[in-house]
Amino acid sequence: MNDVPGIWTHARLLLRKDLMTEWRTKERLSPMVFFVLLVLLVYNFAFELGGAALWEIGPGVLWSSFVFASLFGLQRTFAAESTNDCLDALLAAPVERGALYLAKMMGNVLFLVGVQLLTLPLFGLFFNLTPGLYLLPLLVVFLLGSASVASIGTLFAAMASHSRLREFLLPLLVLPVLIPALISCVAATGFILAAGIPGRAVQFWPEELTLHVGMLALFAVVFSTLAWMLFDFVIEE
Amino acid sequence: MTRILAVILSLAMLAAVGAVFLHAPTEVQMGDVQRIFYFHVSSALSAAACYFLVFLGSVLYLRTRKDRWDRFAGVSAELGVLFSAFVLFSGPLWARPIWGVFWRWEPRLTTMLITFALYVAYLMVRSYGDPGERTQRFAAVVGIVAFVNVPLVHYSINMWAADQQLHPPKVELDPAMQQTKLICYLAFGCLVTLLMRLRLNQERQAARLQALATTTHQ
Repeated sequence: MNDVPGIWTHARLLLRKDLMTEWRTKERLSPMVFFVLLVLLVYNFAFELGGAALWEIGPGVLWSSFVFASLFGLQRTFAAESTNDCLDALLAAPVERGALYLAKMMGNVLFLVGVQLLTLPLFGLFFNLTPGLYLLPLLVVFLLGSASVASIGTLFAAMASHSRLREFLLPLLVLPVLIPALISCVAATGFILAAGIPGRAVQFWPEELTLHVGMLALFAVVFSTLAWMLFDFVIEE
Repeated sequence: MTRILAVILSLAMLAAVGAVFLHAPTEVQMGDVQRIFYFHVSSALSAAACYFLVFLGSVLYLRTRKDRWDRFAGVSAELGVLFSAFVLFSGPLWARPIWGVFWRWEPRLTTMLITFALYVAYLMVRSYGDPGERTQRFAAVVGIVAFVNVPLVHYSINMWAADQQLHPPKVELDPAMQQTKLICYLAFGCLVTLLMRLRLNQERQAARLQALATTTHQ
């Protein structure tokens, strides 16, 4: 009925391009995973991981290393487009700007969830985490947490590449905005991990989890919508 | 106009200081230190008003692309950060004798600190960007995102530190205290307006000078 490709088609194509590039070069995923490993190593010397530390500081350690790694990865959001002025070509193409935001944002969500899933075993190893099905709700938290980070991260990454501060600017902007989401990520992860405390009845979906997951969903929806609306103003040249 | 405002401000501030120290009765439990309240709360309100003005200026800038809205947002952010800094400074002075510590990770305190950080970041975007239209656009985007974030921060911090709540949700004030509070609000309102006018004038002149310098160089 409608032959003109819509915003989703464009977004999907752009996303596919980014994923294919990543698949061939692995230039974002591998450094990010390695970075999480290094942060965990630093935390080990700072806090002595293992034992009861899992329930006391585990969620905080997990999410701070994810957030640091994601800041690292977000910087690269538009890296592929900056060489050979590809961004200008993209902007000249009859593609809605919103599609570019959606593609980059979804790409960032996928990278972040990928990093989280790849590093969770490392985290489990260092903290002596007992594997089990009770960890399954973590998937939801990872997904929504990543969507929260990516929603504003993608918008600010587009700005940071043009600033004199460059790499500096992104964390300065992302971290304070992200705090509401971070609180819920840490709290939700805490409730999920607490199900693994020996002797405690395993509760698959603790009641408090709903509140924090709801908060994360709200954050992700509010900021991806807002960022999608504002993205035009950031990349217009 | 600025002069008249300056005179009004001087009188209002004098009245405020007089009311705080002479008119308002000493609070029964906290004693004299409670008098910080009048300036503390007035500053917090001024900061909140300024942050709203940043949002307003940012939206209007993106809609109209007029430089004056960009300057308006920038100046409001400076004042917002200034008044927040005062809140974050006067809060601990009050907290130390009452709560026993300078700092508690208490909901309102934490929210204020995060908001402060948000707008410091906003000012950094302005001052470290290359002067020009692009930086103005970026600043406006950050000004909007920051303002939308404030209620979320407030809500989530309340959830996070519900058991730490130390600020009273609502206070019944003695009539004399109530009057003092209103005089302080008025004085701070004048202060914000005057500072805003002065800074806007300065910025407008700087922009004009810049424009002149560019034309003469060409």
